[in-house]
Amino acid sequence: MTLLRVAHLTKDFGGLRAVSDLSFDLAQGELLGLIGPNGAGKTTAFNLMAGFIAPSTGEVELWGESIVGLKPHAVVRRGIARTFQVVKPFRKLAVLENVTLAAFLHEPSRAKAEADAARILDIVNLSSKRDSLASDLTLSEQKRLEIARALATRPKILFLDEPMGGLNPTEIEHACELVRRIRDTGVTVILVEHHMKAIMRTADRVIVLHHGVKIADAAPQEIVRHPEVIKAYLGERAG
Amino acid sequence: MNRVLAAIGVAFLLVVPFVTRNPFYQHLLIMVLFWTLLGIAWNLLGGFAGQVSFGHAAFLGVGAYTTMLLYLKLGWSPWLGLILGGVVGALVALPIGFICFRLRGPYFSLATLAVAEIIRLVALNWETLTAGPTGLLITQLPALNWFGRPVNWESKLPFYYIAVALALFAMGTTWFVSRSRLGAYLLAIREDMDSAEAAGIDTTRTKVAALAISAFIAGLAGGFYGLYFRYIDPDAVFSISMSVEMVFIAVVGGIATTAGPIVGAVFLVTISEFFRERFQVGHLIFYGVLMMIVIRYMPDGIWGRLRRWLLGATTQS
Amino acid sequence: MATLLQSIVSGVLTGSLYAMIAVGLTIVFGVMRIINMAHGEMVMLGMFGAYWGYTLWKLDPFVSVLLWVPLMFVFGASVHRMLLRKIIPSGELNTLLYTAGLSLLIANVALFFWTGDYRTINLAYALTPARPFGISISLPLAIAFAIAILVTTALYLFLSRTDTGRAIRATAQNPDSAALMGVNVVRIDTITFALGTALAGAAGVLLAPSLYLYPTVGEILVVKCFVIVVLGGLGSVPGAIAGGVLLGLVESLGAVYVSVAYKDTIGFVLFLLVLLFRPAGLFGVGRS
Repeated sequence: MTLLRVAHLTKDFGGLRAVSDLSFDLAQGELLGLIGPNGAGKTTAFNLMAGFIAPSTGEVELWGESIVGLKPHAVVRRGIARTFQVVKPFRKLAVLENVTLAAFLHEPSRAKAEADAARILDIVNLSSKRDSLASDLTLSEQKRLEIARALATRPKILFLDEPMGGLNPTEIEHACELVRRIRDTGVTVILVEHHMKAIMRTADRVIVLHHGVKIADAAPQEIVRHPEVIKAYLGERAG
Repeated sequence: MNRVLAAIGVAFLLVVPFVTRNPFYQHLLIMVLFWTLLGIAWNLLGGFAGQVSFGHAAFLGVGAYTTMLLYLKLGWSPWLGLILGGVVGALVALPIGFICFRLRGPYFSLATLAVAEIIRLVALNWETLTAGPTGLLITQLPALNWFGRPVNWESKLPFYYIAVALALFAMGTTWFVSRSRLGAYLLAIREDMDSAEAAGIDTTRTKVAALAISAFIAGLAGGFYGLYFRYIDPDAVFSISMSVEMVFIAVVGGIATTAGPIVGAVFLVTISEFFRERFQVGHLIFYGVLMMIVIRYMPDGIWGRLRRWLLGATTQS
Repeated sequence: MATLLQSIVSGVLTGSLYAMIAVGLTIVFGVMRIINMAHGEMVMLGMFGAYWGYTLWKLDPFVSVLLWVPLMFVFGASVHRMLLRKIIPSGELNTLLYTAGLSLLIANVALFFWTGDYRTINLAYALTPARPFGISISLPLAIAFAIAILVTTALYLFLSRTDTGRAIRATAQNPDSAALMGVNVVRIDTITFALGTALAGAAGVLLAPSLYLYPTVGEILVVKCFVIVVLGGLGSVPGAIAGGVLLGLVESLGAVYVSVAYKDTIGFVLFLLVLLFRPAGLFGVGRS
């Protein structure tokens, strides 16, 4: 069942076309990987779909309803949550408060919102830090906090923007596991990542962007053998 | 700790007029309460939400003119007018908010200043409505019986108690907001507006809500100003000085704290009123100096610094 | 027709002085990204410098400007070095609040020593206006205009031809790159702030014979300045000049053709519209 439909999504910044005619469908329960060399337009695509910037042309439909032009909080209310590539926690607030704020969306009472938040902190393994200030956390913990905050809005789709960035191999391992666990609870996930191994092990399907254009859309095993993808990452001479 | 201080504070407020009959001190107390009201009003937006407005006099003035006009032109009760002053202030805040909140940081501040100036100029020139630069004058407040005895409007005492009531209302409102979802949302917006949106917070509507409450309180203060001084004109209630002084009171006292505006008002108003008694001019020197000191050395304001010192002292014992 | 011409001339003359004040504010914003709320007080100090120079020592303001400009330059440099430099790193809003405090401090110290009485400088040759082509022109304002043109040209040459001027423009574009090129950004900041202060002070001296002088005049002036700088584009010197002249014209023509009452309102409404819809200024040359 098509949950999200992206059709001919395009964004121009002055003379630069950051995203060009991007189209794909996302089925419920999928774990879609979005990869591409630096500057390929992955984060811009996220920003477009999540309402942080407006597309130049194109459509984004959630369950058949257009969400183009909605402000970010409205997109969240419809069921799409996102994390940021460079984490943006509420630095001077406590970890629990960070997540409670997002839980308030569905639970106006503070007591219940905090309970929800506590549960989610459990899922991401941050319960022990619930009273710490967000700014005191390590990078890996802050990334998990950001995911927790997104989860607290009870999303149907979760956009994860490079959650493995800056993590060491063990942390990446835990992060992959977390992403799989999230998908198993019924949340559809789009994952932007540079770390190829992480994508290979978690994604059902991978879309590759290069200079804003979709050059491949297939299962992970086929992607690594795809000639266009190899050319994009390694240049003309290889492969 | 906070409750004890609050209880002492309220008791002090109720008792103090019986301690002194000197009209200067009574006036001083009323002025401290008046500016506390304004500081609290401003702080709801400026401190909690981090939106620094330089145009809050707009709501003060709108409240003042509403109260005065309803009484002078329509004969309505000034006390009803006072509350309506707050209501009209809040209503005016809605379009102002939707316009100005499209801007951020210093640009928002400049926009609020421009809006307040426009309103001042309109008030100055729309003479059929506001009597322009001539202003509005109340010669006689209506007779009122309080528990069987007529209220003596010539004395400052009734105004003192009204001011106390308004200030307690404002403090109660702030306390309430700080514990509510709205308060939590405001702090989030102050921290990071994009993250707040990502957490599902409608930042514009939340800011407008804070502004409306803030404007309501400022409008009440405006109505009070009119009834206490009995005379208003556009340059008294809509002036940039009024807006700026509000900012100073809240920032010097302690931005984003519930008690900050109280401390700020007590400090700044007391010092400047004494100075004004003695020297007549230049009484805002301390506002300038204290703001510079606070920004440089005490970003949490006087109350912020005091509170940390007190907490430090108590945890050591 | 004569009225129209008269209005335009008045507007341009006054506007050129506004422009000078606004240029001072805009270069400070352009290079240091700070909004200096105390800028109006710098003008006020220039005005009172001229006043006391005239009242105590019989110095014609157009002569004493040569004394006050370097003094204001030094004053501005000191304010930056001793006060502002430590505040600026804590953010735009904090700096704005700090300069607001400084503004109140200077204005109220002036009020304390000089009282709020309105003062004027009555120059002997100001009594009869010049009448070229039947248009009445106040002599002091005309001289001020001429000097303002000289100063602005000198500033333009300074910014475009000298090394320091180029360093200032480089820092305005990108302080980090400028630093990498060997520009001492802190020194440039101080020089820029001092220059902005000197321009404001000079404008004050030049305007003194034509206005009522009082210590709180800075408040209205700084607000007008913001309007000009936003209209002209934040950080743009030509924009500030154009904006200043434009405001002068709007006020002058507005007073005659719209109404004395609402002439100031037009400026503010334009200001809001530009902030909302054209943040790079009317001419699109500012940074938003």
